[in-house]
Order: sequence, then structure tokens, then C-alpha cells
Amino acid sequence: MSTSTPRVDSMKPATPGPTRTAPPRPPDKFPSAGRYPAYLAFGACGAFLMISALVLIGAVWAVGNGEAAWNDYRELLSHPVFLVYHVAAFIGLTWFTLRLFRLFPATQPYRIGPLKRPADAVMVAGLYGLFFTVLAVGTLFLGGALL
Amino acid sequence: MSQETKTFVVTRFDPDKDEVPKTQSYEIPVEGDWKILDALNYIKDEVDPTLSHRWSCRMAVCGSCGMNVNGEPKLTCKDPVSNYGDTVEVAPLSNFPVVRDLVVELEGFMEKFKAVKPWIVVAKERAVEEGTTRQSPDELADFKQFSMCINCMLCYAACPVVSNEPDFIGPAALALGHRYNQDTRDEGAPERNEIFRDEGGVFSCSFANECSEVCPKKVNPAGAIQQAKLRNVLDWAASFVVKRGGKES
Amino acid sequence: MVDVFRHDVVIVGGGGAGLRAAIAISEAQPGLSIALVSKVYPMRSHTVSAEGGAAAVAREDDSLEMHAYDTVKGSDFLGDQDVIQYFVEQAPKELTRLEHWGCPWSRNEDGTVSTRAFGGMTTKRTWFATDKVGFHMLHTLFQTSMKFGDIDRYDEHFVTKLLVDDGDCRGVAALDMRTGEMKAVLGRAVILATGGGGKVWPFTTNGNIKTGDGMALAYREGVALKDMEFVQYHPTGLPGTGILITEATRGEGGYLLNSEGERFLTTRDYGVGTKAELGPRDMISRAITQEIAAGRGVKVPGKIGQYSHLDLRHLGEEKIDSRLPFVRELSRTYANVDPVHEPIPIRPVLHYMMGGVDTDIDGATELGGLYAAGETACVSLNGANRLGSNSLTECLVFGARAGEHAVQYIQGAAAGDEARFVAQVEAEASRVEELRGRRRGGEKVSKVRESLNDAMEAGTGVYREQASMAKAVAAVAAVKASYEEVSLDDTSKVFNTELIAVLELANMLDVAETVATAAVNRKESRGAHACSDFPTRNDSEYLHHSLVHHTPEGPRFDKKDVTLGVWEPEERKY
Repeated sequence: MSTSTPRVDSMKPATPGPTRTAPPRPPDKFPSAGRYPAYLAFGACGAFLMISALVLIGAVWAVGNGEAAWNDYRELLSHPVFLVYHVAAFIGLTWFTLRLFRLFPATQPYRIGPLKRPADAVMVAGLYGLFFTVLAVGTLFLGGALL
Repeated sequence: MSQETKTFVVTRFDPDKDEVPKTQSYEIPVEGDWKILDALNYIKDEVDPTLSHRWSCRMAVCGSCGMNVNGEPKLTCKDPVSNYGDTVEVAPLSNFPVVRDLVVELEGFMEKFKAVKPWIVVAKERAVEEGTTRQSPDELADFKQFSMCINCMLCYAACPVVSNEPDFIGPAALALGHRYNQDTRDEGAPERNEIFRDEGGVFSCSFANECSEVCPKKVNPAGAIQQAKLRNVLDWAASFVVKRGGKES
Repeated sequence: MVDVFRHDVVIVGGGGAGLRAAIAISEAQPGLSIALVSKVYPMRSHTVSAEGGAAAVAREDDSLEMHAYDTVKGSDFLGDQDVIQYFVEQAPKELTRLEHWGCPWSRNEDGTVSTRAFGGMTTKRTWFATDKVGFHMLHTLFQTSMKFGDIDRYDEHFVTKLLVDDGDCRGVAALDMRTGEMKAVLGRAVILATGGGGKVWPFTTNGNIKTGDGMALAYREGVALKDMEFVQYHPTGLPGTGILITEATRGEGGYLLNSEGERFLTTRDYGVGTKAELGPRDMISRAITQEIAAGRGVKVPGKIGQYSHLDLRHLGEEKIDSRLPFVRELSRTYANVDPVHEPIPIRPVLHYMMGGVDTDIDGATELGGLYAAGETACVSLNGANRLGSNSLTECLVFGARAGEHAVQYIQGAAAGDEARFVAQVEAEASRVEELRGRRRGGEKVSKVRESLNDAMEAGTGVYREQASMAKAVAAVAAVKASYEEVSLDDTSKVFNTELIAVLELANMLDVAETVATAAVNRKESRGAHACSDFPTRNDSEYLHHSLVHHTPEGPRFDKKDVTLGVWEPEERKY
């Protein structure tokens, strides 16, 4: 049994009950056991999304401010810290995407538009296939093989 | 049948005597096909009649006997003793105030439950003489899964948002609201969606998916909430289109 | 001083009948204040466990007359035909209302409500929502009841006594389980809807809460219990637990097999004729019992007794999953058997009490202001044997009627002398206070309950003998005596489940007493009452309801005429 105190008392009724209650515990395995670490890591990957978005905005800003700014920007990107960041972001966001895809079927209704939902495995396989195709094409494109 | 024993470490709390909950261990003989509830009933009947827990149907449909077993929310009448080792911890559901021993406060849930208007909302109630409404098997299937909730509260016990956001309506109640929104006989979606979009509504959910993981009836509340999010975003977007169209005409 | 809560109508029990009554009152006269008192949150009520369906005429090839006749014949001519006529007329309306309220009835391709076959019914007239019909009905009713602002719920309040003064019932004494304090919940009419008392027997489909509370409350106030000897054994309960496997398994085409793999209902004469597995429950339970007695029972490792097999394999996985998913879940979870691949071991299991609080067609009892509906009541719809899927509909039809009639009753009813009711509740408070955690020389509640269970199983099974029933009467009396010495451990006021259990045990003892004594007094075999010493029906002497009244000297017997009508009693053969 976890002994840490929760931050809030969500399940408390608007008017307290007639007898004294013991305060609620947060979920016993939260945050370090069970499925919670993965959930927290999943949420934390939002940081990668945010930082990468800022980096992209930086690129747009640099392009609009002349060649010197663009060169500064490129130099910043080649800084070792940024290289490490990019590797981490790549791994994190790949895992983030794959986990999202794995959860995706649960979010789909019985009918999608006029069609009955496909089997869960088909949905996941389709999304994975699409993701890896985009990744492969993107890699080839950036590597110059497709130009 | 081989007679083995297991030790059940059970949370005890008597508000008249205990400042905070404590644990009490019971070493009892168990049968191979027992559920956790059978063990608790054995303790209650044979060892310690002061132990308090809720139960009734013992067939996984009344929803009374949800508890945390080794830290995981479980419907104890459905959870086999054989899944556990020599020591099993049984505690009241997490995220709930504890009334006594394994009995938790349900009034907070009852308020959230009612908040989503879990009934058919229609402008004018149909007369009996009109007969039954036509509803195709597909239309039924659009909401059937979300009507299977037995209100056992495991989803609330598992949800990390519930323990951090006081106004969160929570998985079972939101899924139930979505169930009625999806029902072709219902006209209450606009009212419910206002509640869904409000503080503590569907957008408070961070899709931990814990509710669907622990649900003993495969209701998939997490899926219901994500579907409700999408529907509300689309409704919101559509509202601009409709408004603009209105001005132009 | 006890807290006093004033309402117009007090309903005890939050299951199908209680909730339907509450809604009926709210609709009949909006603004009336309704107290819904239940020892559990309403969605925990045992209506939730009903599986197979609810009967009402829906198809072109069916008629009200056919439904009525099936019910009369099923009751072995002990059902009151005016009640049955009213029931079959209201049944389609009630199920339609439930449809309007959102009940997810299973559908045909054209969008109409689907019906399935059930035992003793001539055609498909059982409406269903897969195989969790009670669950869906209960949740639909409970959720719908929330939109009526006039229903004040007293959840987890245990009623210990009806408040009666000068021949009129005007409220209840309710123990708030949360605080351990007694409350006076007053109203000018009281409706009992607390279900049956299946926990009187050890091997039962019934949940822990089915302790016959309403029957005992009425009985102790001098109201007769009617036809208590008729208790229904459902043919198909799982080994060990007694968990119900719905009759819909046979409605969908399942077979019953003995240890030789023989479909004995088709090869031997058990009176069910070509109906075979779709015969009425009393006959099929007897057939299984006879098969086992003849040495053709199936043994289940580690389980006491012998069984028959319920075979669904030929239905195929798709049909089982679409029509009977809960059966598959229950069989796998509680019997370790997957019905897609193996037959399910089953045996007759106590399921339902045809008897109950004697009411007229309005649900009114002989006590002013007291009504009863659902399994608690005996309105004489079911007679000596209930047909499967009539009881869920009964909760709706007679729950609504009791509610509507209670509204009429209170128009001219005085509230009575509040001080006298409060005094009764204060006396109850002292009685319960004395009981809580009291130490006596006797045994624990669970032990006394076990003795009661054993006595009732031995004396009032599928087949009964005069000697064993007489033994049960004596045994129940002995257990009643030992109850006075029962010893309690839990002194806490808050959520004291041991205290509730001992109060429930008192109710179970009263119910058991009436069942055993009514059984020994019916010296014939009719419907579910199969008496080995008197194996045939005896209309000249026993075509009557039996009434049991409580007196300080013990139970007192009376008879009540059966209301016949279109159909005169005839031999009951299928």
C-alpha cells in the first residue's frame, strides 16, 4: 500500500459524508510501477515535440533574416548538445508514435464513417507500415538518394 | 484437492478507533478455484467477523467488490487466488476516501455519474402507442460496448488524472455520457457535450488508458473519451462553418 | 432522538420493481416526494444478475391469449387468471417504455426488437439484450430514475421494521449503514420491493443480498405470506458456486445431456413432450435430478454432487459470442469450461420464490398503505411455477401498478401520529444498539446461517418428502432458538456488516419457517412443489393458495381461493 498523500480528493462528495474517512491514496503503483512509467514517459515525449517545434520556428526565423542568421542557425544545430538531443528526440518520438499507434484502435468507434472498423491488428499494422515507409522515404530523401 | 495456505494482508480502518488505515494479516487455507472474494468471505465467516467489505452477486455483474489486489484494481469476485503468490495484499480502491476497511466512499462518484445526464434526453417523450423505436444492429453496436459498465469503480482507482484533477468527471461517467450521445434514440448530445467540454470534461483526460486496462467488462472508457474528444473538436470546428454560412445567407 | 424524514411514499428496495414504482409515482403525480430506501446502491440490486430476457408478446404469430395460457399452464393452474390477463396486456407496453428509456434490446436486421424462445413459452416472446437483460434493465431504470428530481435515495440503509399504527403502515425504521444510526423514514404508503430470499438455501443463483427482507418485514406485522412452499429450482447452475447459466442457452438451441451423452429430455418421458429442453423449469429440474439419481450423472473433479451437461457446442462460436457472451464469460471464469469447445456441467439450483407477500392485483396487502411488488410479492402471477422471463416483466408491470395505486391511496390517507412512529423507531434503535457487538454464548452468524442452509437444503429441495419437510420445520425452529444466542464481534457503528448479517439472518429465519411449514402442509405435487409421498396434483383438496400468518405462538395457516377464468385446470402435459 502506498503511503504518499494525494494532491487532491477527486472522489470526495460535494458535502462530506457523515463519518470520518481515511484520505484516498493515489493509485498504488503510481508513478514507478505497472504501466505508469510508460504513460509518464509518453507524456514527457511532449517535450520533444515542443522543443522540435521551437527549432523549426527558429529555422523559419533564420531564413527570413538573411544568410548570416541561417549560417548561425546551422552552426547551432551542429553543436554536440543538439546532436545528442536529435538522437534522443528521434528515439523518443519514434517510440511515442508507435505507442500512439498501438493505442489507436481503442479510440476507434464500431463504425468509421460508413465502414465497419477493421480488425485491431490490421489498423496497427497499417499505421506501422505507413510510419516506417515515411521514415524510410524521408531518410533516403535526406540522404540524397532520391534527388 | 491440495490444501495450501496463503497470507492475506488486508487494510483495516475503523474511523471510531483508527487515526489512519493499518494492515492485518490472515493466514488461511485456500481452495484452488477460489477468487479473492472467496478468501475475504472465508476470513469474514471463519476468522474475523469484523472485516467489512461490500459484495453481492459473486458473478462479476453487480460491481460491488472492487478492491486493489497487490496494488492493481480488481473485481475480487473475478480475480483468481491462483494468480497470486503466498502473500496477497488487499486494499480499498485507490483514489477513493475510505469509509471503513475495504469499503470506499461512493457518493462522489454518484455526483459525477448524474452530471453527465445518463438518460435518454428527448424534446418530447414518445408515447407507448407509437411502439418501439427502430434501431439497426449497427446503430446498437455504435454504443453497446459503452453500456456495459457495471460501475465497479476500478477505472477511477487506476486513473492518474483522477488523483490530480478534482473536477475530472472520470472514465465511467464520461463513457456513459458518450454511450447516450451515440444512441440514435437520444437528442441530448448538445447538452452533454457542453459538460464534456467544460472543466473536468473529456479534455482533462491524458489518455493514460489505465481505465481500459483495468476494466473487467471491456467497456473501454478511454476509447469512449477519445471518441468524445474528436466529436467535440469536430462539432466546435463545424460551429464556425455553420455560423459563417448563417451570416452570408 | 432519531432523525425524521418525511415523504409521501416510501419504497423499500432499489431493484427493478422498486425503481419502476418510483418512476410510476413521479409520473402519476409530479411533485410527490418519494423515498427510495435500499440496503445497497440501486445498481447492485439483484435484478442485475438476471440473464435471459423479459417476456411480452411482440410477434405476429403470437397473441396475448397464448402468453396468458402459457403462464396459467406453467403455474400449474395456481396463478390467478385475472392477474395473468392484466400482466400479459401490460407486458408489451412496459417493455416498450423501457425501450424508449434507452434499454439496449437486441435487434433484428430491420431494426425491430428481437425475441428469443424460452421454456414453457409457445413462441418467441422473450425480449433480450444479449444475455445480460437484468443488468441492462436495472441500469436503464436506475439511470432514468435520476432525471426525476422527486426521488430521494437512501442508499445503504437497511430497513429493520415497518412503522404501523392502527392497522396502517406509514413508514419504515431504517438503519443508516454508514453511521449506524436509526432513521424514521415516513410516508403515507410503503412499497416493499426487496426481492426474494434465495440465500436461505446454500446452493443458489442468488446474490448475498437476497435475504427475504421485505417478506419478513411484512410477515412480522401480521401480513400473510402466500404460496411460500413454491420455490423454483433453475435447471442450470454452475458447480460449486451455483452461478446461473441462463435458460436462453436452451432457447438458442442448447441440449441437456447425461453422462452417456444422451439427450434425455427427448429419449425419456419427463412430461415435457416435444418441447424437450424448452420445457418449464420445474419439470426440467426434476428430469436432471432423476437422471442423476438413476446413475447417469456427470462428476466434476473437486466438486460435491453430480451434474448433467449443457451442450452448446453445435451452436458455434459466432452464435455463442453474439447471443450468449456472458454465458461464455461465466463458464470460463467460474467453471473453467469454454462452451464453444466443451459442455458445461450444471445442476438444478435454487433460483426464485414464487411465494411472497400476499397482495391483490394492485399490489396492496391486507395492511393499509402497505404494497409489495416483484419477487417480494406474491400477486399470484406465477402460481406453483414461474415461466422463465416472466419475472423481469413482472417487476415492471406490478412495480408500476403498485406505484400508481399507492398514489391513489395516499390522497385520502392521514399521516398518522408521528410521535408514535418515532417512538417505534427509538425502540428499534435500542434493539439494534443492544444487538451490535453483543457477546453471548452462541455461535457466529455464519455458523447459524450454515445450519439454516443445511436444514432447508435437506427439507425443501427439488423433491420433498413429508418426513424430510417435517424435519426441516423442526430444524428451522431449532436454528431460530440458537439465533437468540448468536455472538457478535463487531462493535463499530460504521458500516458494520456483521450487524447487517445478523439482522438479515432473522429475516431469513422467518422466511424459512414459512417455506418449510407451508411445504409440509401441501400434501400434493403441483408445479415446483414435488412431494414424493403425494406424487400427483390434487385439485379437489389443494387448488388454493396457502397463506401463512405470523402469531406469537408460531405460524398460522389459511387458504385463499385461486381466481380461475377462461381456463379450467387440466392435466399439465407438454
